[in-house]
Amino acid sequence: MMLAVFATMSLALLAGYYGPRWFAVLSMLVCLALSIGLFLFEIYSPEYGFGMPWLQVQLDVVPHVWSRGGHS
Amino acid sequence: MNTMTGARLPATLNDLFLFAMMLTMAAILTTAMILQFYGGEIPCPLCLLQRVAMFGVCFGIILHFRHGYSARNAGFSMLFALFLLIVSVRQTLLDIYPRPGHSYIGSTVLGLHMPVWSVVIAVAILLAFAIKLAVLGGDVCAIHNPFRRLAALPGCLAFT
Repeated sequence: MMLAVFATMSLALLAGYYGPRWFAVLSMLVCLALSIGLFLFEIYSPEYGFGMPWLQVQLDVVPHVWSRGGHS
Repeated sequence: MNTMTGARLPATLNDLFLFAMMLTMAAILTTAMILQFYGGEIPCPLCLLQRVAMFGVCFGIILHFRHGYSARNAGFSMLFALFLLIVSVRQTLLDIYPRPGHSYIGSTVLGLHMPVWSVVIAVAILLAFAIKLAVLGGDVCAIHNPFRRLAALPGCLAFT
């Protein structure tokens, strides 16, 4: 995947110098799409994903504020 | 200052500004390569994605020098600058808390690691483009290219 990202980037550079502008821009947009896909894969992959355990997204203990019948 | 000099000044400043930005990005990428091949600091996948994003910023500037001014080129660079900011913030948050197997990759440069520098660089790029567009505007091509005005001349003559 990373190889494809760098291949399209190199293709964009070559097309920028020797080819038409639209092809260079298209190659770079494909490179950006592949990069975003790889970035999302790095985030969400269970094997290779990078967890951030210090970000608490769940409550450890659910508070029972209303367990005694509420206010009176 | 005559009219011609006054008309060319914003375009020249725009070219110099973009050239300085491209040189800075090239210097940053060259430094990363030197640290990799001579310092033995192997980059992680997120580091490589940040390099791709920096090259994308340069690519928008290259299009400007290769094919002339277009606001699309600036938008192209800003798109990659935003991608650089997202990836670098993600990596900075990933390693901001030291734990086994997770620490900032590589050595520090002026006290900051490379992902943190990438955040600074991305914000600086976006700020630079914002300042450039605010000060110089987005229509310097019409000032810079005299043939564009000549091309509009037949249309003007048609209405007179």
